[in-house]
Amino acid sequence: MRRPRTGLQLAGRRRRNTELFLVIVGAAITVVAYVLASLGRFSSIPADVGPFGAFVLGLVGIAHLANRVLAPHADQVLLPIAGLLNGIGWVFIARLDEDLAALQFTWTMLGVIAYVVTLFIVRRSRLLESYRYTFLLGGVLLLLLPLTPVLGQTVNGSRIWVAIGPINFQPGEFAKIALAIFFAAYLVDNRELLSVANFKFGPISLPDPRHLGPLLLAWAASLMVMVLERDLGSSLLFFTLFLVVVWVATERATYLVTGMILFAAGSLVSWRLFSHVQVRIDAWLDPWSDPRGSGFQVIEAAFGIASGGITGQGPGLGDPGRVPVAETDFIFATISEELGLLGGTAVLMAYLLMIGSGLRIAIRSERAFPKLLAVGLTTLLGFQAFIIVAGVIRLLPLTGVTLPFVSYGGSSLLANYVLLALLIRISDEVAERGLDVPVPEPVGATR
Amino acid sequence: MNRQIRRLGLGLIVCFAALFIRLNQLQVFGAEALETHPINTRSIIEDFGQARGDIITADGVVVATSVEVDGQIERARQYPTGELHAHVTGWYAFNLGASGVERTYNDQLAGNENPVPVTRILDLLGPGDRSADVHLTIRDDIQRAARDALGDRRGSVVALDPSSGAVLAMWSWPSYDPNQLSTLDFDAAQTAWANLTTDAENPLLARTYREIYAPGSTFKVVTAAAGLASGRIGPTSPVFADIADYVAPLTDRPLANFGGAPCGGNLAEVLARSCNTAFAELGAELLGPELMIGTAEGFGFNSAPPIDLPDGVASRFPSDFGAELGVSDLDPRVPLVENTPALAQSSIGQFEVAATPLQMALVAGAVANGGEILAPHTVAEVIADDGELVERAEPTQWQRAMRPEVAETMRELMVGVVTNGTAQSLRIDGLEVGAKTGTAQTITDGPTDDTHAWIIAFAGTPGQPATAAVAVIVEAVPGAGQQTGGSVAAPVALEVLQTMFR
Repeated sequence: MRRPRTGLQLAGRRRRNTELFLVIVGAAITVVAYVLASLGRFSSIPADVGPFGAFVLGLVGIAHLANRVLAPHADQVLLPIAGLLNGIGWVFIARLDEDLAALQFTWTMLGVIAYVVTLFIVRRSRLLESYRYTFLLGGVLLLLLPLTPVLGQTVNGSRIWVAIGPINFQPGEFAKIALAIFFAAYLVDNRELLSVANFKFGPISLPDPRHLGPLLLAWAASLMVMVLERDLGSSLLFFTLFLVVVWVATERATYLVTGMILFAAGSLVSWRLFSHVQVRIDAWLDPWSDPRGSGFQVIEAAFGIASGGITGQGPGLGDPGRVPVAETDFIFATISEELGLLGGTAVLMAYLLMIGSGLRIAIRSERAFPKLLAVGLTTLLGFQAFIIVAGVIRLLPLTGVTLPFVSYGGSSLLANYVLLALLIRISDEVAERGLDVPVPEPVGATR
Repeated sequence: MNRQIRRLGLGLIVCFAALFIRLNQLQVFGAEALETHPINTRSIIEDFGQARGDIITADGVVVATSVEVDGQIERARQYPTGELHAHVTGWYAFNLGASGVERTYNDQLAGNENPVPVTRILDLLGPGDRSADVHLTIRDDIQRAARDALGDRRGSVVALDPSSGAVLAMWSWPSYDPNQLSTLDFDAAQTAWANLTTDAENPLLARTYREIYAPGSTFKVVTAAAGLASGRIGPTSPVFADIADYVAPLTDRPLANFGGAPCGGNLAEVLARSCNTAFAELGAELLGPELMIGTAEGFGFNSAPPIDLPDGVASRFPSDFGAELGVSDLDPRVPLVENTPALAQSSIGQFEVAATPLQMALVAGAVANGGEILAPHTVAEVIADDGELVERAEPTQWQRAMRPEVAETMRELMVGVVTNGTAQSLRIDGLEVGAKTGTAQTITDGPTDDTHAWIIAFAGTPGQPATAAVAVIVEAVPGAGQQTGGSVAAPVALEVLQTMFR
């Protein structure tokens, strides 16, 4: 590496060094967790500790190196936290099901590759902006794919999977990112027009339908598809994304309020109309009325989490396998049970730190597109984590979204690494403009 | 836009704070309610699959053990000797709880509180096996002898060491096979449970310490002890009249001797021959209610013996015989009460007197042990997996039934019952044996001939303190008529005592 020549480069170097340190700490924590889980389950230290540690460090090291080369000024906290979440998630998946863990390891490798590739291809966020309609089309197509007769699969009542040959994936995970890009780009162009109310509809002032129209159409179409696919969690997440990005872009609280009213109305209607929604709501409000059926998951999760107490049962020492889909939707219950309140809170803090970094990137961004895109991506990440944890601990009805980086799931992991890469890219751009770097003291160097 | 972004950040913080609060609710404030919720089987399954210590008799026979099996529950509890030790070990079953030693020593068996020997730092991090084995005082060979001797007949045998309180055998028939309840085939276990609990014979009941019967003449030991302790009678005087039946004050119903024959003599003789008339008179007119109640309770009646098994039952001696109406003709110190006739009957172990076989064994033990009754226990030691002693039972006094001098006199009297009384079939070469037989009328609604056959006895090397006390009851069989202690119960006691001293 060349010696840093400007204050900017110095700051970037410092960031990357901090990141390296955090990455090593994260890898060490993952390895320690792995050893503890093995001690807890088998009372023995795993034989492959050395290679495992090397692999973990290697994988996250590759991502770190990509940062050094491709995004040297980016935020130093995002990658280490994502890596730590991925690692801890893997340890608990391994503790539950070794076969799934092997798969998740493969997905992690692919995720890191996707991360590097994304960083490489997307050199400037402007690139994304110029392809906005491609992303719209791609996003909608991806959403529609599971509904096609041959390729789509109905799994557990919802139709969100696609099988091509031996590969199963969830296109919806990628569709969300594509549509976030589209929304950000579209709103950049039209935000002023949408902020001004031209059209009076009784007491409510609405912007010109010509401009609002395409947006609403895109949103409505996507929502319809998700409802048809019975993917309640994604519908909720997507709706939130749309609302937040529009609100931030137009600075009009009306959108937020109207949106929430629409959401309430829509929820009521869907609750009336759809039995699967009723089942979910009933299981949320009173799982005890059907403890062996619809309430079983949530009740078992509650029992498991309660048995964790403050310090948890200890890795490998609890009985989290009693909760169905403990490796995917309910991975947080597993972590809460074995790491207790302390562990669960640490995971929540990790997500908050990522959200904080993402929003900080957005705030510091001068240009509108990176700002809105950062907001959109952070919203996706943060609200998804919130929605699934809330569902697992029964603060909200249960939905089928994954806990980002932690849950088992190839599509989710890959999509989240791409999301991460985009955030890092924006962060690098923002920092490179020199706006968030303190003016350094000259270190006696001359040009 | 930045203002909105900041607000968004705040909103997300609020959302995550709500998550944190809810987590606290689940894991701190509301945790106990969830953990003890009736449908929460987590701790049951967790406890159930844990390592659990063995239960081993004093002669090394394993009577309860856990074997590893495949499946969600990793261990199954098995009872190699089946029904032989069932009433002592109890069962340990999923959804059917636990009884017996499995229950009272559950913490030690499961290792819940045993100290963890930390030999490696890794012991602190792993699940750790802290289960301990429970070593019983029960001897398998004596238990077998009791079972074989009793055979098919309903009854109980209790054998203990009065010098330490250790119970060496506790057998009652009918018994049950605890394997049927501890099986991991839960449907089969439920069926077995339903059958056992609705069985009219009640095989789950450990009659040795949980069922009470009229002790009949075996209770005369208590009455005699009351007399000696009060000083109102001695072994050789007074001499009771040789009469066929006795009519208590305030009644005209006669109380007859066995077989309607005349019976009398000094205390040694009336005890050896088991005269009802003498003892009825003794209790009703020479001692009175207070002395009788006091002595009976001194032997442990009206309190449950502190045995280390669950749900023990107290033996009963009536504690109220009515208001005073005057004084006895024979001794003005003795009050006459409304229920003096009942007192007369109580003094010979009838009326509402009822005792567990364990209690009667303790009575014999009191005589053998200088008047002191030590707390009976079935567990000798608890030893952890690594050989470390977790706890050991130490002899503790439960009751002081008599002064040592009185006990010594009673000992001689009971030896007399064996040398020339109703228990001559209990003579054993090389041992000094004392006993008292009983033929108790059953407590039923109407008159019946069916009787329980009782015998209580102690034995030891001559000149040494006795180390064995035994109580045997062979329950009455409806319609079978009389069975005497000497002819029916004594052979069982003989088998048991011989095995104890083999």
